[in-house]
Amino acid sequence: MSDLGLILAVGAITFGSRITFLLRPRSAPGGAVGRFLELFPLALFVAIATSGLAAPNGAPEVTEALAAAVGGVLGAVVFRRSLWGVVALGAFAFYVTRALFA
Amino acid sequence: MFDDPSFRRGARESSLLFFATGAFGLAYGVLAVDAGLSPWLATLSSIVIVSGSAQFAMLGLLPAGPVPVLLSAAGLGLRHVPMSASLAEMIGLRSIWIRLRLAYILVDETFGLTVRAHNSGVEDVVAYKTAADLVLYSGWMLGTVTGAWFGSSIDPEAVGIGVFFPLLFLGLAVPLVHERRDLLVAALAVAATLIATLTLPQAWQLTAAATVAALIGAGLGE
Repeated sequence: MSDLGLILAVGAITFGSRITFLLRPRSAPGGAVGRFLELFPLALFVAIATSGLAAPNGAPEVTEALAAAVGGVLGAVVFRRSLWGVVALGAFAFYVTRALFA
Repeated sequence: MFDDPSFRRGARESSLLFFATGAFGLAYGVLAVDAGLSPWLATLSSIVIVSGSAQFAMLGLLPAGPVPVLLSAAGLGLRHVPMSASLAEMIGLRSIWIRLRLAYILVDETFGLTVRAHNSGVEDVVAYKTAADLVLYSGWMLGTVTGAWFGSSIDPEAVGIGVFFPLLFLGLAVPLVHERRDLLVAALAVAATLIATLTLPQAWQLTAAATVAALIGAGLGE
């Protein structure tokens, strides 16, 4: 599949997921399926963050990215779970650690 | 539309998103070209997909081939399903064109703002979200174009731009933790991801880890 085809396919999948309930309004799924759908984004976001911060080169290792993770969690506490607080303090910890140990 | 108080409120309350998504769009543009996409395709991807998470994931999985990229897009798209259900309830009966337009930019940031505005009694949810979407989209596109076409002088690794991507997701995850069960799911996702990096092919690690953590969480009940 070409890059263009892949981009169009990802776009179609993304739009398809977004239009699901807007196309024909109906109630959201309940029960275990509803709970899974509710929890999946959290699990996925944490998985992506863990992969990039704790295993940036494919396997768990201690790098300056781990300092960014610690800084990010600290940012969540200090800035009351603000997205940009997490990013700012995480980046700060990353660059300070990099400067100290590079 | 532009004189609508709800539209103006949406534009005002989302103004910071212009700069924030612009910065991430810039990072995306630089990394997309670095990953092998032409500047045209990098720009087109932001026009067609309009999803930072799906686009960054696509870049990360490009070397693994199309199947993991598509599975990842489907997995990431799962979160839009309950979001679209919630938005459909908020806007009520609207024309198909309005619903298609709102679905096109159904993203975490403006969805969150819209929910907050709806709960605080904004008069016209559609006008509010349209304004917020326009602000976000302008920043995202401007950032992508700048990064893709003029970012060749930036070495992402030397600048350390790559760390912003996982940090963004950490920042998106944090507000989703409301109760002890959510914290447990997050901890499970960390453990499952670390195990997956040691045992599974790269293409399957994130989807498998997130699915396992969310399934266990869902099995725990309310």
